[in-house]
Amino acid sequence: MSVVFDGNPPKAMQTSHTHTPQNALSAQELSQEIKSFISGVDAVQGRKLSVREHARCAVRLLRSVPACRGAVLEHLRGVYDEHVSAFLHRLETEGDGSAGVSSNLEDIIQEVHGVLSEFIRLNPRAWAPLVSAWAVDLLGQLSSKHAGRRAAPHSSSLNELLQLWMSCAATRSLMEAYSQCLAAMLAWCPDACVDALLDTSVQHSPHFDWVVAHIGSAFPGTIISRVLACGLKDFCSHGSKDPLLGPAGGGAGDKGSRVPKIGSVVGILGHLAAHHSDSIRKELLRMFQESLSPSGPLSPSSSGSSWESSPQLRRSAVPFLLQLAALSPTLLGAVSAELVELLRPPVLLQLQALLLGLPREELENMLGLAVHLISQSPTGGARVLRFLADTATPASVIISGPTPSPLDGIREACDRLLQMLLLHLHKLVYNRTDGTEGTGPSHHSASSAQPQRVIPFLEELQAHVGELCAETLRLERKRHLWLHQLLCLLSVYGGPSVATEALCQLLTQARNPEELALAWQLHTPLSACLPGLIPAAVGRCVAQVHTHTLGPRQLRQLLLNLAAAVQSQDEERRGAGPAARASMAIQVGGAVSGHLHDFCPLLLHGDPAVSHAAARLLSASPLPRRAAAPAHLLQLCRAAVAHFFVALRRRGESGSGRDGGQASEAVGCSALLLARLAAYSSLALKAVLQQLVEGALHKGNAELFGGRIADMAGDTPLSPSLTPDLGASLLDTNCRFGTAVNFSGSVWSVFHAGVIGKGLKVRAAKPPHDPAAVIQNVQTLLAVTVQCCSSSSLNGGANGSQRHPTSDPDEPPPPINAEAAKVVAMTLVENICPDVANGELSWPPEEHARTTVERDIHIRRCFEAHPVLFPLLQVVAAGRPALCYCSAVLRGLLATLLAHWEASREALATDSPWHLQASCLLVSCMGEGQLLPPVLGNVHEAFPYLTPFEVRLLLLALWEYVRGNGPMPQKFVFSPDKGLFCRDFSRDGDVARYVAPIHSVLHKNIDRLGHLCWRFQL
Amino acid sequence: MGDIRQSLLPRDVLSAAKELLYHLDIYICNLVQSGRQPPQVDTKTLELVEEFILHSPKDRNIQPRRMSALQELQLLEIMCSCFQEQSRDAVRQLMFSALFSLQGNQADESRMALLSKLVSMAVAVGRVPILECAATWLQRTHRVYCVRLARVLVDDYCSLVPGSVSTLQNIHSSSPRFCCQFITAVTTLYDLTTEDLTPPLELLQMIVSWLQDDPHLVLVTLLNTQLSGSQPISSLDLTPLGGLVRWCVKAPLAYRRDKKQVLTNGTAESEMEAGPLFSTLHLSVLQVLMLLPNILNEKGLFGRLALLQPETLATLTSDLSRLLDRADKHAHAGPASSHALSQLVLDRLAQALQVALANGALLCSREDLRAICSRLPHNNLLQLVMSGPVMYYDNIHTTPLMAFSPHSGHSPIASHPTHQPLASHPSPHPQYPAQPYLSTMPFPYRPNH
Repeated sequence: MSVVFDGNPPKAMQTSHTHTPQNALSAQELSQEIKSFISGVDAVQGRKLSVREHARCAVRLLRSVPACRGAVLEHLRGVYDEHVSAFLHRLETEGDGSAGVSSNLEDIIQEVHGVLSEFIRLNPRAWAPLVSAWAVDLLGQLSSKHAGRRAAPHSSSLNELLQLWMSCAATRSLMEAYSQCLAAMLAWCPDACVDALLDTSVQHSPHFDWVVAHIGSAFPGTIISRVLACGLKDFCSHGSKDPLLGPAGGGAGDKGSRVPKIGSVVGILGHLAAHHSDSIRKELLRMFQESLSPSGPLSPSSSGSSWESSPQLRRSAVPFLLQLAALSPTLLGAVSAELVELLRPPVLLQLQALLLGLPREELENMLGLAVHLISQSPTGGARVLRFLADTATPASVIISGPTPSPLDGIREACDRLLQMLLLHLHKLVYNRTDGTEGTGPSHHSASSAQPQRVIPFLEELQAHVGELCAETLRLERKRHLWLHQLLCLLSVYGGPSVATEALCQLLTQARNPEELALAWQLHTPLSACLPGLIPAAVGRCVAQVHTHTLGPRQLRQLLLNLAAAVQSQDEERRGAGPAARASMAIQVGGAVSGHLHDFCPLLLHGDPAVSHAAARLLSASPLPRRAAAPAHLLQLCRAAVAHFFVALRRRGESGSGRDGGQASEAVGCSALLLARLAAYSSLALKAVLQQLVEGALHKGNAELFGGRIADMAGDTPLSPSLTPDLGASLLDTNCRFGTAVNFSGSVWSVFHAGVIGKGLKVRAAKPPHDPAAVIQNVQTLLAVTVQCCSSSSLNGGANGSQRHPTSDPDEPPPPINAEAAKVVAMTLVENICPDVANGELSWPPEEHARTTVERDIHIRRCFEAHPVLFPLLQVVAAGRPALCYCSAVLRGLLATLLAHWEASREALATDSPWHLQASCLLVSCMGEGQLLPPVLGNVHEAFPYLTPFEVRLLLLALWEYVRGNGPMPQKFVFSPDKGLFCRDFSRDGDVARYVAPIHSVLHKNIDRLGHLCWRFQL
Repeated sequence: MGDIRQSLLPRDVLSAAKELLYHLDIYICNLVQSGRQPPQVDTKTLELVEEFILHSPKDRNIQPRRMSALQELQLLEIMCSCFQEQSRDAVRQLMFSALFSLQGNQADESRMALLSKLVSMAVAVGRVPILECAATWLQRTHRVYCVRLARVLVDDYCSLVPGSVSTLQNIHSSSPRFCCQFITAVTTLYDLTTEDLTPPLELLQMIVSWLQDDPHLVLVTLLNTQLSGSQPISSLDLTPLGGLVRWCVKAPLAYRRDKKQVLTNGTAESEMEAGPLFSTLHLSVLQVLMLLPNILNEKGLFGRLALLQPETLATLTSDLSRLLDRADKHAHAGPASSHALSQLVLDRLAQALQVALANGALLCSREDLRAICSRLPHNNLLQLVMSGPVMYYDNIHTTPLMAFSPHSGHSPIASHPTHQPLASHPSPHPQYPAQPYLSTMPFPYRPNH
């Protein structure tokens, strides 16, 4: 039955493998070896084995007795441990000559490593799992056992740790062995070895990290995907167990069992993220995509991992990824940006199909988690938001872009997600500053002392306020409600700066009242916690204006929006309306009034629409309550007046179409603005009137009012391009005459009518202005002037409260303010003939006029060139006693008229129409201005019927009267009942003697003038 | 024996196990000496073994103690010497079965693990008594577990430790019984269905060299066994002949499949070497079959003991037809070589069938044979075998055995009037338990890994 074992060594070696001498041991020898190995004593010689010999013995057994391998590997642990100890000891006692022991062991470690790696190479399938498990476990044990040693760096300094352990022969050899195993095993069972790695990593948590980091960086692609796959499996097996705990959501017990493995997954990926974040991101996204793609032939690239084939794992992949992201901000950051790009409609459909299978509680948890993640994601928030809003927007609204609208289910889910997100953010935002509620977030010291919780989603969105506002303003159904809510949260979160920005953006981008209303809706909740928001927002708008960041259209829109805001104030005051809006309008008004001077340059903006809008804003906005700085005020006045003329010009140019309507509206705004400015303060009044008059007479504007610049050619040289060069040279002329130095207006001038000898100067032929337009312009100008002059008297106070400009037409127009009229008068004088400004008011005898012929001609030309002067004079006349200040001009004009009538050889005065008209107007003005008593003031009524000589006679009589009764302002007294200054002619000398020539003329022409006789009764 | 538990409890794992072994030895000696038949180890003792040697948890509350690998090695070493030093066969056997007979409880796993290591170690250090005991164990145990033991040995010696296959080769000389059982287990294990279940080349070489040296080796168990009705159900076959026939027949197809996979790795080494090896093996198997009539006649079993079961053959042929079909479909590369391969397969099958039929290893009628082989593709030799007359090589044995021929009654072949007389014999079936060791019970051949 039994054959006695003869103990022969094996004869036939049929295998092709090489054999080391150890393999040739006989059975007896082997048995001896085993005994020696077990007892640690040489079985033959009976002496104790050294560590080295013992290890050699173990290696021999490993090579020859398969059954011993467990024991041998276990024994080798001790050897490795000893080596590590010696290694660290040597490090600690640096410099001692104790290197002998460890170097002794180092070769044995080399030997072991050689054997193991040979085994792994020859038969990876059998050895790799064995050795990898052993090596990982031993590594974990070694690194945590020796973590406390003096030579070992702290576990947080991963690099130092890595350096230390890799310089130790034992750990390095283990690491190499493990790497080799891993490389071999990746082909067929990668999960097992990564599982072991993960388990060990969990067990020896911080001390083992260097191993994972090293392995991970050696096999980034596989380790990442394996780690993920392992984590997923673990998650799935845990997740499938605890639906019972599901409703509790993140219950403590539930979390406790789940955290370890996913925790180490997160840790490992966190390590690798430093250098391989790209592959991690790709891997995560791939996991997501493949969990969705319908099961079937998968791409060959994914053949390595097996989780895709299990439907249960695939279903858990999405929750797993969410959980992972929730645990690691790094991973979240890596994925969040690109994930949204993947969520195209087909993917969404797959996702929906996948999630339909999950129980309700789990879905709720996922939803909560997703909301949490979105609120925590540091980048890509804007994209996420756009995606959610796009997807959740009802299908009936036309979605821009070619993407077909997803199914209703998805839309509703997104809707829900969005609402939960908003709710969540709401909670976060308003609970952020708990404890300081009483003082409010605006209380700076309190809120800054409180550690504020950062909400990355909102942090990131702060940079996208502009886009959000634009989106909101599109007013797409639900979308703008969400976005509006979000803007509100964002503003509260970001504090004044963000709120200001948002409001400013809304103000800038709104295009109609509905859209503008969003701004107020935003302001209403914010006003409680962020005072001073509107002034800040307006200030920001102004800053935008200053930096020229806005195009003309936007600028115009902004101005119009502000104007609308301010105007709503007036509307609210008159009618009913929400008080909040009214108060806000008042705030806007106040804020704008503080920035008037910033807006005034816009009045002169090149784009008519912008300047119009600016005018509207300025005309609507209240003026500052406190006295504005004179510089600002003057600037404003100048701009306003300039704009007025520009507007007039535009009205003339634009015709009667839609543009015309706008242009006249612009004129109206401008007039209103001027009136209000004039009413603001005497300074402003003066400035406005002065500018108005100057402007009206300015050569650029003159033609608006029927002026003919050419008539003033003596004073204003024509541009060379318009006049043919006559070859005249002042120098030559002066040399020839030798005498003349030309003082304009005082001495004979050489060039006033042309170069002597060359005939009259050529008049620049300009197309005459449309008379109707001229009349309209003059009317407008007068209306403005009158309004300015008259408003000032009653509302002179600088309180900014205005009568409404369109007052009741039935009311008699208010009297013209004397001061205002004086300003006009002074300005007129200065502009017509600066020489006589501030000159003598009283009149010299008529003969003296001979000395001032040049000046008088200049004055007359001026009146000829600017028909608008007469109406202005009439305004001045109405504001008695202002006309007195014009006396020099009146005298000059009268002198030239006298000269004309004297020289005239016409049959009738009507033959020189301009002079007749001028005479009439002059006399009527003087009568109105009470420079003449009523009897004399009426003479002009007779002029058209008279001969030129008779006219001269009458005018001469007037001259005489004025010479006798000087036009002195002090002769006027204020009569409170009329609200006007009046002159009491009774105090002056007898009028009768001046009336005599009138009566003579009446007598002479009684046939024609009979009906006028009553006018000249004393 | 149960009273020593209290004294064992405080001991450390290893010394408790040692002490228990010591007491077990004494206990079994006493048992054998008492002469009670059959000697039976009581359950209390078995429980002690489970608790202190196999460390299966006796009580749920107590954390089972574990031995370290070193302690385990020491225990194995002690066991080795224990069995070696025990001179009485009966005691040894009893002890072995007390330790390692499967009890169908949860201790079986650790029992198998320990047994595997023990046997592996015994092979390494040449402990013949243990191998003998293990051979008996292999005869008595359900084949699932036998296959597991074989697998451990193959893994250990053919793949894990390079160069150690020579150690395993020695069991042929040290314990032929064990060697024979080992071959049976291995042929049962590796049925060539998957890559994993294809025998390693080293193993194949070893078996071929064993058979070349001594064809009787595969019949050792048959020779040494008293055929009684008490063979346990689902144990291994009496001889590895069935498995070996399967190997030889299926090999060309299986290794061809391997080749495809291997080629991607650039080595087709196994294919190169396996072909001639299987040829040699086939020849050896045929030679062994030719040895059978003498042996069976000596034991008086010729025609009564079917060493190849028709059911096994049926499985084999259906496998073959499937494989051949597949080979045809995938034969786009070289239809000629594919055809040659399938013809080789069928030739081998036909040869084996013919020789087995002729030597009384296969007891079935031509009719049955035809039914079994009906789905196979055409092959001249097979056709001959199926349709040819029953040709007994040795006419001496023909006459007495005619009476026992199990198929003669079933298959009166009209075209062969010379056999007409056979038909008159009554059917022998009721009188003979024709296939006492056959189990038709389906069972999972593969150990569950």
